[in-house]
Amino acid sequence: MTLSVALGPDTQESTQTGTAVSTDALTAPDVPWNLVIWNDPVNLMSYVSYVFQSYFGYPETKANKLMLEVHRKGRSIVAHGSKEQVEQHAVAMHGFGLWATVEKATGGDSGGGKRGPGKGKGKRG
Amino acid sequence: MAKAFKYGLKGISGFLEPAERELLRSLFADVISMLEPSDRGSEDPLAAMIGLDMEVREPSDRALRRLLPNAVKDDAAASLEFRQLTERSLRESKIGALRAAALGLDKDELVLTPADARHWSTALNDVRLVLAERLDIRDEADADHVHQMQDWSQAEDVESYLALVYNFTTWLQESLVQAMLQSLDKRA
Repeated sequence: MTLSVALGPDTQESTQTGTAVSTDALTAPDVPWNLVIWNDPVNLMSYVSYVFQSYFGYPETKANKLMLEVHRKGRSIVAHGSKEQVEQHAVAMHGFGLWATVEKATGGDSGGGKRGPGKGKGKRG
Repeated sequence: MAKAFKYGLKGISGFLEPAERELLRSLFADVISMLEPSDRGSEDPLAAMIGLDMEVREPSDRALRRLLPNAVKDDAAASLEFRQLTERSLRESKIGALRAAALGLDKDELVLTPADARHWSTALNDVRLVLAERLDIRDEADADHVHQMQDWSQAEDVESYLALVYNFTTWLQESLVQAMLQSLDKRA
Protein backbone atom coordinates (compact mmCIF):
# COMPACT_ATOMS: atom_id res chain seq x y z
CA MET A 1 0.00 0.00 0.00
CA THR A 2 2.58 2.51 1.02
CA LEU A 3 4.56 1.83 -2.13
CA SER A 4 2.14 3.87 -4.20
CA VAL A 5 2.35 6.98 -2.00
CA ALA A 6 4.98 8.62 -4.16
CA LEU A 7 2.69 8.49 -7.17
CA GLY A 8 -0.28 10.81 -6.87
CA PRO A 9 -3.24 10.69 -9.22
CA ASP A 10 -1.70 13.39 -11.40
CA THR A 11 1.11 11.07 -12.45
CA GLN A 12 -1.36 8.44 -13.53
CA GLU A 13 -1.38 9.25 -17.21
CA SER A 14 2.34 9.30 -17.63
CA THR A 15 2.69 5.88 -15.99
CA GLN A 16 0.22 4.17 -18.27
CA THR A 17 1.31 1.76 -20.95
CA GLY A 18 2.16 2.60 -24.52
CA THR A 19 -1.10 1.13 -25.77
CA ALA A 20 -3.00 3.55 -23.60
CA VAL A 21 -1.45 6.64 -24.99
CA SER A 22 -1.74 5.64 -28.62
CA THR A 23 -5.37 4.51 -28.29
CA ASP A 24 -6.50 7.68 -26.62
CA ALA A 25 -4.87 9.69 -29.35
CA LEU A 26 -7.06 7.84 -31.84
CA THR A 27 -10.38 9.09 -30.53
CA ALA A 28 -10.42 11.94 -33.05
CA PRO A 29 -13.78 12.11 -34.84
CA ASP A 30 -12.32 11.94 -38.35
CA VAL A 31 -10.94 8.40 -38.11
CA PRO A 32 -13.27 6.11 -39.97
CA TRP A 33 -13.62 2.76 -38.09
CA ASN A 34 -15.21 1.79 -34.77
CA LEU A 35 -14.54 -1.08 -32.41
CA VAL A 36 -17.86 -2.27 -30.95
CA ILE A 37 -18.22 -4.44 -27.84
CA TRP A 38 -21.49 -6.39 -27.51
CA ASN A 39 -23.27 -7.39 -24.33
CA ASP A 40 -23.50 -11.01 -23.27
CA PRO A 41 -24.81 -12.58 -20.06
CA VAL A 42 -21.55 -14.38 -19.25
CA ASN A 43 -18.67 -11.93 -19.07
CA LEU A 44 -18.31 -10.42 -15.62
CA MET A 45 -18.76 -6.66 -15.36
CA SER A 46 -15.55 -6.44 -13.35
CA TYR A 47 -13.67 -8.40 -16.02
CA VAL A 48 -14.94 -6.19 -18.86
CA SER A 49 -13.87 -3.10 -16.92
CA TYR A 50 -10.51 -4.72 -16.19
CA VAL A 51 -9.98 -5.40 -19.92
CA PHE A 52 -10.82 -1.79 -20.83
CA GLN A 53 -8.42 -0.51 -18.16
CA SER A 54 -5.55 -2.87 -18.81
CA TYR A 55 -5.67 -3.15 -22.61
CA PHE A 56 -6.73 0.37 -23.61
CA GLY A 57 -5.25 2.02 -20.54
CA TYR A 58 -8.56 3.81 -19.86
CA PRO A 59 -8.99 5.28 -16.36
CA GLU A 60 -11.37 3.37 -14.09
CA THR A 61 -14.24 5.87 -14.51
CA LYS A 62 -14.11 5.72 -18.30
CA ALA A 63 -13.75 1.92 -18.30
CA ASN A 64 -16.76 1.53 -16.01
CA LYS A 65 -18.84 3.97 -18.04
CA LEU A 66 -18.17 2.03 -21.26
CA MET A 67 -18.77 -1.29 -19.49
CA LEU A 68 -22.17 -0.07 -18.20
CA GLU A 69 -23.04 1.19 -21.66
CA VAL A 70 -22.37 -2.29 -23.06
CA HIS A 71 -24.47 -3.80 -20.28
CA ARG A 72 -27.45 -1.44 -20.56
CA LYS A 73 -27.56 -0.59 -24.25
CA GLY A 74 -26.34 -3.89 -25.58
CA ARG A 75 -23.30 -2.43 -27.28
CA SER A 76 -20.76 0.34 -27.02
CA ILE A 77 -18.14 1.85 -29.27
CA VAL A 78 -15.00 1.60 -27.16
CA ALA A 79 -12.31 2.69 -29.62
CA HIS A 80 -11.85 4.33 -33.01
CA GLY A 81 -9.07 4.14 -35.53
CA SER A 82 -8.00 2.96 -38.93
CA LYS A 83 -9.39 -0.36 -40.18
CA GLU A 84 -6.11 -2.09 -39.32
CA GLN A 85 -6.04 -0.62 -35.82
CA VAL A 86 -9.59 -1.60 -34.87
CA GLU A 87 -9.10 -5.06 -36.39
CA GLN A 88 -6.07 -5.52 -34.19
CA HIS A 89 -8.13 -4.44 -31.17
CA ALA A 90 -10.89 -6.88 -32.19
CA VAL A 91 -8.47 -9.82 -32.20
CA ALA A 92 -7.20 -8.75 -28.79
CA MET A 93 -10.78 -8.50 -27.45
CA HIS A 94 -11.56 -11.98 -28.82
CA GLY A 95 -8.42 -13.15 -27.03
CA PHE A 96 -9.92 -11.83 -23.78
CA GLY A 97 -13.24 -13.52 -24.63
CA LEU A 98 -15.16 -10.30 -25.27
CA TRP A 99 -17.50 -10.19 -28.26
CA ALA A 100 -16.10 -7.45 -30.50
CA THR A 101 -16.88 -6.38 -34.05
CA VAL A 102 -15.47 -3.71 -36.33
CA GLU A 103 -17.61 -1.33 -38.34
CA LYS A 104 -17.19 1.68 -40.54
CA ALA A 105 -18.08 4.86 -38.67
CA THR A 106 -21.11 6.24 -40.47
CA GLY A 107 -21.73 9.22 -38.24
CA GLY A 108 -25.39 8.24 -37.84
CA ASP A 109 -25.27 5.29 -35.47
CA SER A 110 -22.83 6.28 -32.80
CA GLY A 111 -24.47 4.03 -30.20
CA GLY A 112 -24.49 6.78 -27.60
CA GLY A 113 -20.75 7.16 -27.94
CA LYS A 114 -20.85 10.82 -28.96
CA ARG A 115 -18.74 12.87 -26.65
CA GLY A 116 -18.69 9.85 -24.33
CA PRO A 117 -15.16 10.30 -23.04
CA GLY A 118 -15.79 13.93 -22.09
CA LYS A 119 -18.64 13.17 -19.73
CA GLY A 120 -16.40 12.63 -16.71
CA LYS A 121 -15.89 16.42 -16.52
CA GLY A 122 -12.21 15.99 -15.85
CA LYS A 123 -12.77 14.62 -12.37
CA ARG A 124 -9.58 13.32 -10.87
CA GLY A 125 -8.52 11.01 -8.04
CA MET B 1 -12.80 -25.44 0.02
CA ALA B 2 -11.07 -23.09 -2.35
CA LYS B 3 -10.05 -19.68 -1.05
CA ALA B 4 -10.72 -16.53 -3.05
CA PHE B 5 -7.73 -15.03 -4.85
CA LYS B 6 -6.30 -12.05 -3.04
CA TYR B 7 -3.74 -9.39 -3.80
CA GLY B 8 -0.95 -8.95 -1.30
CA LEU B 9 2.78 -8.45 -0.91
CA LYS B 10 3.60 -11.62 -2.85
CA GLY B 11 1.30 -10.68 -5.68
CA ILE B 12 -1.94 -12.56 -6.37
CA SER B 13 -2.36 -15.78 -4.42
CA GLY B 14 -5.05 -18.38 -4.03
CA PHE B 15 -5.71 -21.87 -2.76
CA LEU B 16 -7.51 -24.82 -4.34
CA GLU B 17 -8.28 -28.29 -3.02
CA PRO B 18 -6.92 -31.25 -5.02
CA ALA B 19 -10.41 -32.10 -6.35
CA GLU B 20 -10.88 -28.51 -7.51
CA ARG B 21 -7.52 -28.58 -9.28
CA GLU B 22 -8.52 -31.78 -11.00
CA LEU B 23 -11.80 -30.25 -12.10
CA LEU B 24 -10.09 -27.15 -13.52
CA ARG B 25 -7.43 -29.28 -15.20
CA SER B 26 -10.09 -31.23 -17.08
CA LEU B 27 -12.05 -28.07 -17.96
CA PHE B 28 -8.93 -26.41 -19.36
CA ALA B 29 -8.11 -29.61 -21.29
CA ASP B 30 -11.65 -29.75 -22.75
CA VAL B 31 -11.44 -26.21 -24.08
CA ILE B 32 -7.92 -26.82 -25.43
CA SER B 33 -9.16 -29.83 -27.38
CA MET B 34 -12.03 -27.75 -28.82
CA LEU B 35 -9.59 -25.09 -29.97
CA GLU B 36 -6.93 -27.35 -31.46
CA PRO B 37 -7.30 -27.11 -35.24
CA SER B 38 -8.31 -30.31 -36.97
CA ASP B 39 -5.51 -32.07 -38.82
CA ARG B 40 -5.14 -31.03 -42.43
CA GLY B 41 -2.50 -32.91 -44.36
CA SER B 42 -2.87 -30.87 -47.51
CA GLU B 43 -2.20 -27.56 -45.83
CA ASP B 44 0.10 -25.03 -47.47
CA PRO B 45 3.14 -25.00 -45.13
CA LEU B 46 4.13 -21.45 -46.04
CA ALA B 47 0.64 -20.11 -45.28
CA ALA B 48 0.69 -22.03 -41.99
CA MET B 49 4.05 -20.53 -41.09
CA ILE B 50 2.82 -16.96 -41.41
CA GLY B 51 -0.41 -17.74 -39.60
CA LEU B 52 -2.81 -17.75 -42.55
CA ASP B 53 -5.54 -20.32 -42.81
CA MET B 54 -7.33 -20.20 -46.15
CA GLU B 55 -9.37 -23.34 -45.36
CA VAL B 56 -10.96 -21.86 -42.25
CA ARG B 57 -14.77 -21.75 -41.92
CA GLU B 58 -17.12 -20.26 -39.35
CA PRO B 59 -17.38 -22.91 -36.59
CA SER B 60 -20.63 -24.89 -36.58
CA ASP B 61 -20.43 -25.49 -32.81
CA ARG B 62 -22.06 -22.62 -30.92
CA ALA B 63 -19.56 -22.65 -28.07
CA LEU B 64 -16.63 -22.56 -30.46
CA ARG B 65 -18.33 -19.74 -32.35
CA ARG B 66 -18.49 -17.81 -29.09
CA LEU B 67 -14.74 -18.33 -28.50
CA LEU B 68 -13.95 -17.39 -32.11
CA PRO B 69 -16.71 -14.94 -33.03
CA ASN B 70 -17.33 -13.19 -36.35
CA ALA B 71 -15.58 -9.83 -36.39
CA VAL B 72 -17.93 -8.09 -38.82
CA LYS B 73 -21.62 -8.10 -38.01
CA ASP B 74 -23.97 -9.26 -40.79
CA ASP B 75 -21.13 -9.66 -43.27
CA ALA B 76 -20.14 -13.30 -43.68
CA ALA B 77 -17.59 -12.62 -46.43
CA ALA B 78 -15.71 -9.95 -44.48
CA SER B 79 -15.84 -12.10 -41.33
CA LEU B 80 -14.42 -15.07 -43.22
CA GLU B 81 -11.59 -12.98 -44.63
CA PHE B 82 -10.81 -11.79 -41.08
CA ARG B 83 -10.80 -15.41 -39.89
CA GLN B 84 -8.35 -16.43 -42.60
CA LEU B 85 -5.90 -13.82 -41.34
CA THR B 86 -6.39 -14.08 -37.59
CA GLU B 87 -8.15 -17.22 -36.37
CA ARG B 88 -5.10 -19.44 -36.28
CA SER B 89 -3.16 -17.09 -34.01
CA LEU B 90 -6.24 -16.45 -31.86
CA ARG B 91 -6.64 -20.20 -31.31
CA GLU B 92 -2.94 -20.46 -30.47
CA SER B 93 -3.00 -17.63 -27.96
CA LYS B 94 -6.08 -19.05 -26.24
CA ILE B 95 -4.51 -22.51 -26.11
CA GLY B 96 -1.32 -20.95 -24.74
CA ALA B 97 -3.21 -19.26 -21.88
CA LEU B 98 -5.16 -22.43 -21.07
CA ARG B 99 -1.96 -24.52 -21.02
CA ALA B 100 -0.18 -21.98 -18.83
CA ALA B 101 -3.06 -21.97 -16.36
CA ALA B 102 -3.19 -25.78 -16.36
CA LEU B 103 0.56 -25.94 -15.65
CA GLY B 104 0.09 -23.61 -12.69
CA LEU B 105 -2.23 -26.18 -11.15
CA ASP B 106 0.72 -28.51 -10.56
CA LYS B 107 2.03 -26.38 -7.73
CA ASP B 108 0.49 -26.62 -4.26
CA GLU B 109 0.32 -22.91 -3.60
CA LEU B 110 -1.12 -20.66 -6.29
CA VAL B 111 1.00 -17.53 -6.48
CA LEU B 112 0.39 -15.74 -9.75
CA THR B 113 2.73 -13.34 -11.53
CA PRO B 114 0.94 -10.61 -13.54
CA ALA B 115 1.38 -12.78 -16.67
CA ASP B 116 0.02 -15.88 -14.84
CA ALA B 117 -2.98 -13.85 -13.69
CA ARG B 118 -3.74 -12.73 -17.26
CA HIS B 119 -3.53 -16.35 -18.46
CA TRP B 120 -5.76 -17.52 -15.63
CA SER B 121 -8.37 -14.83 -16.17
CA THR B 122 -8.72 -15.51 -19.90
CA ALA B 123 -8.60 -19.29 -19.39
CA LEU B 124 -11.38 -19.15 -16.77
CA ASN B 125 -13.35 -16.80 -19.02
CA ASP B 126 -13.11 -19.17 -21.99
CA VAL B 127 -14.20 -22.10 -19.79
CA ARG B 128 -17.21 -20.07 -18.63
CA LEU B 129 -18.14 -19.10 -22.18
CA VAL B 130 -18.18 -22.78 -23.18
CA LEU B 131 -20.11 -23.89 -20.08
CA ALA B 132 -22.62 -21.08 -20.64
CA GLU B 133 -23.33 -22.33 -24.17
CA ARG B 134 -23.78 -25.87 -22.87
CA LEU B 135 -26.17 -24.51 -20.21
CA ASP B 136 -28.00 -22.48 -22.85
CA ILE B 137 -27.49 -19.18 -21.03
CA ARG B 138 -28.98 -16.69 -23.51
CA ASP B 139 -29.84 -13.69 -21.34
CA GLU B 140 -29.53 -12.26 -17.84
CA ALA B 141 -32.59 -14.19 -16.65
CA ASP B 142 -31.00 -17.51 -17.69
CA ALA B 143 -27.79 -16.46 -15.93
CA ASP B 144 -29.72 -15.64 -12.73
CA HIS B 145 -31.50 -18.97 -12.89
CA VAL B 146 -28.20 -20.86 -13.18
CA HIS B 147 -26.68 -18.71 -10.46
CA GLN B 148 -29.28 -19.93 -7.94
CA MET B 149 -27.82 -23.40 -8.14
CA GLN B 150 -25.33 -23.36 -5.27
CA ASP B 151 -25.81 -26.58 -3.32
CA TRP B 152 -23.66 -29.51 -4.43
CA SER B 153 -26.02 -31.96 -2.72
CA GLN B 154 -28.62 -30.91 -5.32
CA ALA B 155 -26.49 -32.05 -8.23
CA GLU B 156 -28.71 -34.76 -9.62
CA ASP B 157 -28.22 -34.51 -13.35
CA VAL B 158 -25.71 -33.26 -15.89
CA GLU B 159 -27.32 -29.85 -16.13
CA SER B 160 -27.31 -29.12 -12.42
CA TYR B 161 -23.73 -30.39 -12.18
CA LEU B 162 -22.71 -28.09 -15.05
CA ALA B 163 -24.48 -25.19 -13.34
CA LEU B 164 -22.52 -25.79 -10.13
CA VAL B 165 -19.26 -26.00 -12.05
CA TYR B 166 -20.18 -22.78 -13.89
CA ASN B 167 -20.90 -21.01 -10.60
CA PHE B 168 -17.62 -22.22 -9.11
CA THR B 169 -15.60 -20.90 -12.07
CA THR B 170 -17.57 -17.63 -11.98
CA TRP B 171 -16.76 -17.16 -8.30
CA LEU B 172 -13.10 -17.99 -8.89
CA GLN B 173 -12.80 -15.61 -11.84
CA GLU B 174 -14.55 -12.79 -9.97
CA SER B 175 -12.15 -13.08 -7.05
CA LEU B 176 -9.19 -13.16 -9.45
CA VAL B 177 -10.39 -10.09 -11.37
CA GLN B 178 -10.93 -8.16 -8.11
CA ALA B 179 -7.34 -8.97 -7.13
CA MET B 180 -6.12 -7.93 -10.59
CA LEU B 181 -8.02 -4.62 -10.37
CA GLN B 182 -6.36 -4.00 -7.00
CA SER B 183 -2.95 -4.67 -8.51
CA LEU B 184 -3.77 -2.19 -11.34
CA ASP B 185 -4.59 0.44 -8.71
CA LYS B 186 -1.29 -0.11 -6.98
CA ARG B 187 0.68 0.28 -10.17
CA ALA B 188 -1.08 3.43 -11.29
